[in-house]
Amino acid sequence: MTFSNFMEIFVKGCPLILTGLGCAVAFRTGFFNIGAEGQFYVGAIVTTMVSLYAPGMPPLLVIILALACGFVCGGLWALIAAILKARFNLSEIIVTIMLNYMVINFLGYALRSFLMDKAANVPQSEKIDVARQIPVLVRASRFHAGILLALVCVAVVWFLMQKTTLGYELKAVGLNRRAAAVNGIPVVRTVIYSAFLSGGLAALAGGIEVLAIQKKLIEGISANCGYTAVLIALIARNKPWAVLVVSLLYAALQVQAGSWQRQSGVPSSIVNIFIGLIVILILAKDIVPYFRRKEGGSNAS
Amino acid sequence: MPLLTMKDICKSFSGVYANDHINLSIEEGEIHALLGENGAGKTTLVNILYGLYEADSGEIFWNGEKASFRSPADAIRAGIGMVQQHFSLVRNMTVLDNVILNLPGNAAFLKRKEAGEKFARLAAAHGLLVDPGAVVADLTVGEQQRVEILKALYRNVKLLILDEPTAVLTPQETVNLFQVLRSLAGEGYAIIIITHRLSEIMEVTDRVSILRSGRKVAELDTASTDVHELSRHMIGHDIDEMPPPDIPPREAPMLRLDSVSLERKRLAQPLHDIRFSIRKGEILGVAGVEGNGQKELAEVICGIRRHTSGTIFLEDADISHLGVRPRYEAGIAYISDDRQGDGLVPDMNITENLALRAYGKPPMARHGLVDARAMSKVAAEKTQEYQVLASGRSGAATPVRLLSGGNQQKLIIARELEEGGKLIVACQPTRGLDIGASEFVHQKLRAWRDAGKSVLLISADLEEIRMLSDRVAVLFGGRVVGVLTREEASVQALGLLMGGVTAAAAEGAGA
Repeated sequence: MTFSNFMEIFVKGCPLILTGLGCAVAFRTGFFNIGAEGQFYVGAIVTTMVSLYAPGMPPLLVIILALACGFVCGGLWALIAAILKARFNLSEIIVTIMLNYMVINFLGYALRSFLMDKAANVPQSEKIDVARQIPVLVRASRFHAGILLALVCVAVVWFLMQKTTLGYELKAVGLNRRAAAVNGIPVVRTVIYSAFLSGGLAALAGGIEVLAIQKKLIEGISANCGYTAVLIALIARNKPWAVLVVSLLYAALQVQAGSWQRQSGVPSSIVNIFIGLIVILILAKDIVPYFRRKEGGSNAS
Repeated sequence: MPLLTMKDICKSFSGVYANDHINLSIEEGEIHALLGENGAGKTTLVNILYGLYEADSGEIFWNGEKASFRSPADAIRAGIGMVQQHFSLVRNMTVLDNVILNLPGNAAFLKRKEAGEKFARLAAAHGLLVDPGAVVADLTVGEQQRVEILKALYRNVKLLILDEPTAVLTPQETVNLFQVLRSLAGEGYAIIIITHRLSEIMEVTDRVSILRSGRKVAELDTASTDVHELSRHMIGHDIDEMPPPDIPPREAPMLRLDSVSLERKRLAQPLHDIRFSIRKGEILGVAGVEGNGQKELAEVICGIRRHTSGTIFLEDADISHLGVRPRYEAGIAYISDDRQGDGLVPDMNITENLALRAYGKPPMARHGLVDARAMSKVAAEKTQEYQVLASGRSGAATPVRLLSGGNQQKLIIARELEEGGKLIVACQPTRGLDIGASEFVHQKLRAWRDAGKSVLLISADLEEIRMLSDRVAVLFGGRVVGVLTREEASVQALGLLMGGVTAAAAEGAGA
């Protein structure tokens, strides 16, 4: 594997880490946010607009502002589902999937109207000023500063889950919402926090992808990472460090798939089939206890 | 020749014997009790007979022939029926459809008319009156039990097993059930009844087998024994009669409900105009057949549900508008009847579960950060003080779903009985616990009372209510239909009120 290929693992892994963390935070609280894809695009759109239209100020400040606005808007977008769930008990799964369609189609509209680059006449935004892009850190690769931010997020989310009272609340609500309510834990507030954080992290992934990789807004830049994130959180059992590892392994397989196809003509579809097989095998670990139970392991009387 | 013989039945779960060489034989026309504490192995034994478990070793002879039932369907085909503690009825189907559900002879088209005739014949013959066209969900628990019995009789069983059949019945319904059982026995049916209520055994059975820790310790003729001998065999010693409360309650009320109602659409059991008060240093028992508003009452007092009208006072302070946490901080603790659903987070460990109420405050947390060491310290102290035994080496890191029911309950009590508490709402606090653990719970509640605090004891077990309470309120249909003093609260008086017969109505009927 070449050096730039190795670095590419982190580049491809970055959005997976952030969206995966987002899903892990939500799943931990029993809020099944399938909307990371949509929240990713909310972040991408908002970050792009801030970067393009922010008035003159120090570039670093613009980058931070753009990502922060993306984070907040992605969080608010996820809150729609959380509030509908808390207030009317609507399934957050359905609502977040529908919200995905809305954002993705709004993106298509925006790129053909007010966000369209007049000069290019194709559905894409203007290019973001070089100074306002996230810089590349390692020469001869695409390893950018956003990857460090993603790693910091892993540590922050881990700290939040393990060391804070909010983390305790997230866990208790996720494992037994009813008991949490009976014992006086503010369940609705907890779900709102986790949904906001979840949406924000996915949106951050979108913002970073625009500012560091594409340098402009186009369609399809998520490469479905919002859906892959669900899988990653599932395999990582909602643990932040495990999300990091699983995301990088997943990215490594993707990167290798490309070079295998180029070098030895192995279709990259094989890798995807392979990934599907691995996931099924990982989930299959639940089969063994199932058969143990059948032999009769429950308690007496 | 006995109808059923079980020989040397052994069954172990992960190395622990639930049944250890148990022998049992039942004659036709016999009512046989299986007596024992929770965990003694009664249910395991009948589950083996009914084909739900497979015995590790031992033999079953049915009608003199060696048999082995691999599933309940096998057992039913052979002539063994079982009424489980939790009924297996389809709630939104009619009684008749439930009875003929999954009959071996069912073709593509049901013959409801024929079935209805057979059903009516059986029901009339055995005094099991229930409307075949009624939807099961609309029936009382007693009626549902009759449907279960009819379901078994319809399948021509010879042996009927009843698991804790009286747990959900009023005293009057129990009398009724026993009449039915005796008439069935008179016609040659054999009946196995699982129970831990000694008085019922004396009343209805012919023979008793007593199990303790998976072994059969005695088999007695009911006619030649008494409750003292039975309890000696069951728990190894006589039941200690608790002394009556010696410190009279103070006059000052701790909790007062003033015309509290809970009336919303789609509520299983609304509450209407509840008024009562609990004094300091008093245990107020709440008796009633399950599902008459007990749980709703408990949740309204703890703030889990918001009542729709009326006022709740705690020591003269109006707490109606407070949520669960402020009420707990004001001094209202709660032992729910649903340990794993309401009281604990089964997948969290002992330490975390002990922190469920106070995780956000010093000493357990500071500035939003959890102090893991302080939490462990609290857990270590409480598990020691309340003798919570965690199996295995993980100690306080054991997920509580792996604890026994008794240890789970101790954990809840350890968490809820805090220094600053004033009132504890204890909902079925000893359900599913063995006698040792029950006594522990009773002691703690009494100590709490004797410290000048108050207890609202909601229980379906009349013995428990009568033993502990200073006064007893009876709930029926979401109303308090009577509040009796300790002296007035005889089983007979409570039973009538639990069945909805108020003093006024009883006098009216008598006149």
